[in-house]
Amino acid sequence: MVGQRAERKQLMPANYGPYWFILVLLAAGAVFCLTPLLLAWLWARFFMPGRPGPTKNAAYECGLDSPGADGPRFKSEYYLYGILFLVFDVEAVFLFPFAASFTGLPAGAAVGMLVFLLLLIEGLAWAWVKGLLTWK
Amino acid sequence: MTPAGSMDEGLRNELSRQGVFVVKLTDLYNWGRKNSIWPLNFGLACCAIEMIAASMARFDISRFGAEVFRPSPRQADLMIVAGTVTKKMAPQVVRLYNQMPDPKYVIAMGACAISGGPFKQGYNVLKGIDRYIPVDVSIPGCPPKPEALLHALITLQKRIESEQFAGPNPAPRLARGAPGEYPVPRLGAHDIEPPFNPEVWQPPKLVREE
Amino acid sequence: MEPLEQLRARAEASVPGAVLEIVPNACPADPPSLRVDPGHALAVAWFLRDDPQLRLDYASNVTGVDWPETVTKEKARVKRMVDGVVKEFETVVEKRRPGFLEAVYHLYSMELKQGPVILRQRTGDRDRAVTVASLTPVWRGAEFQEREIYDLYGIRFEGHQDLRRLLMWEGFEGHPMRRDYVEPDDYDYEPTPHADVLEKARKHYPAPPAS
Repeated sequence: MVGQRAERKQLMPANYGPYWFILVLLAAGAVFCLTPLLLAWLWARFFMPGRPGPTKNAAYECGLDSPGADGPRFKSEYYLYGILFLVFDVEAVFLFPFAASFTGLPAGAAVGMLVFLLLLIEGLAWAWVKGLLTWK
Repeated sequence: MTPAGSMDEGLRNELSRQGVFVVKLTDLYNWGRKNSIWPLNFGLACCAIEMIAASMARFDISRFGAEVFRPSPRQADLMIVAGTVTKKMAPQVVRLYNQMPDPKYVIAMGACAISGGPFKQGYNVLKGIDRYIPVDVSIPGCPPKPEALLHALITLQKRIESEQFAGPNPAPRLARGAPGEYPVPRLGAHDIEPPFNPEVWQPPKLVREE
Repeated sequence: MEPLEQLRARAEASVPGAVLEIVPNACPADPPSLRVDPGHALAVAWFLRDDPQLRLDYASNVTGVDWPETVTKEKARVKRMVDGVVKEFETVVEKRRPGFLEAVYHLYSMELKQGPVILRQRTGDRDRAVTVASLTPVWRGAEFQEREIYDLYGIRFEGHQDLRRLLMWEGFEGHPMRRDYVEPDDYDYEPTPHADVLEKARKHYPAPPAS
């Protein structure tokens, strides 16, 4: 038993830091990802230069010309939905640590948190009144 | 390092007998390319049914590495023009071809794609897709059997295998001056304009015998 | 299936003002059809679909017919007084029938398993009065076929929700299925020309000068 432990100690370097492996892994991952890209770039550079053109670079790839103006169309509901999601999300992010250390907090912190909550709830009420929560 | 092309043939054989294989980079690259041809997932008429049959288990185009039918031209190497190309469809076909990345290949499958087939003298059918885009392999038939499509694929693989990138004789689509896009025809009042792309196709000069 | 005369009488009684005409078919195998004036076509169509004895709920086929202007020559016998004696003469009378277009609907009943009843609508002429009533509100399946007729024959369907060309492209001139449509001369070559293609080939490739 004692001998085994001594062997294991010898395998590990004296200045063993646990983060070195992460750094090595990161570097290996970067090399793994970048090598094909570099090879592709080199190939394009020396053998197969790109030949872009307006049709080739068109966004739509069904063979038809895209009608109307450029740029994607999206429903404004998604945008508002995103903002509302942010309201709930940010609220939750701050509420969890607040709830975890609630008993140890001074009264000022609780009041500050309530003000913050009130602001977010006001935004929610505004959205509700505007009818943004009903999906059309 | 001496390029493998100028290597002595006897030395190469001797090396391969010892378990050392020497290939040109071009050969290696072509070997990879010819065994992973990704066709564009697009069918126009009844020939497409035969194309689908060729991709199914009985004929199994995946034996030749070409089973990955891509729904987007950006990811495709091979356009199988399977079926009748109407005049209304021709600009779309040329546009899809333009959107494919180089090196790209075209198989014209069936009589209609080659020449308009039985509809050649009609008012609404294009008289062959080779009027607008360069066709590498044509398969005659109406429609061709799946075996014929596989044969065309093997023919194309042989062509890819022998292609050069640099040097005095590069493959036509790989040469430096090759056009990136072919002009897309317009739909005119009665016909598509122009009726053919003179850079790609010219009507043969016929002399009538009396 | 009730006889066509009875059907016509009931339809005329049901739709006031409608004028229906039984069009005989020259081919004995084909049933005669019912011609309806475009003004009352929609009401008659609703009647044909909803009448409990007919229930023609399925328009299996809608097609167009082009009838160009024809001039037929017929021999006729004319009696004339010549010198106090009645004599018969043979003369040739030219009959001119103006051209028109027709939309023909083949109707069946899925519910009562009967049919077909063939409904025709006729346009006034081939150039200006080419409007008939669209029956797409009654039979939804007629939508694309009416569009196809509009595309290839040039009949306009009043009341069609989306009357655009179907097979040819926007900006195409002419209607290719009309009998007088002249297709563009896009001949370039044909390896084995024959019949009318040979005529075109003669025009495009003049014979070599005799040496």
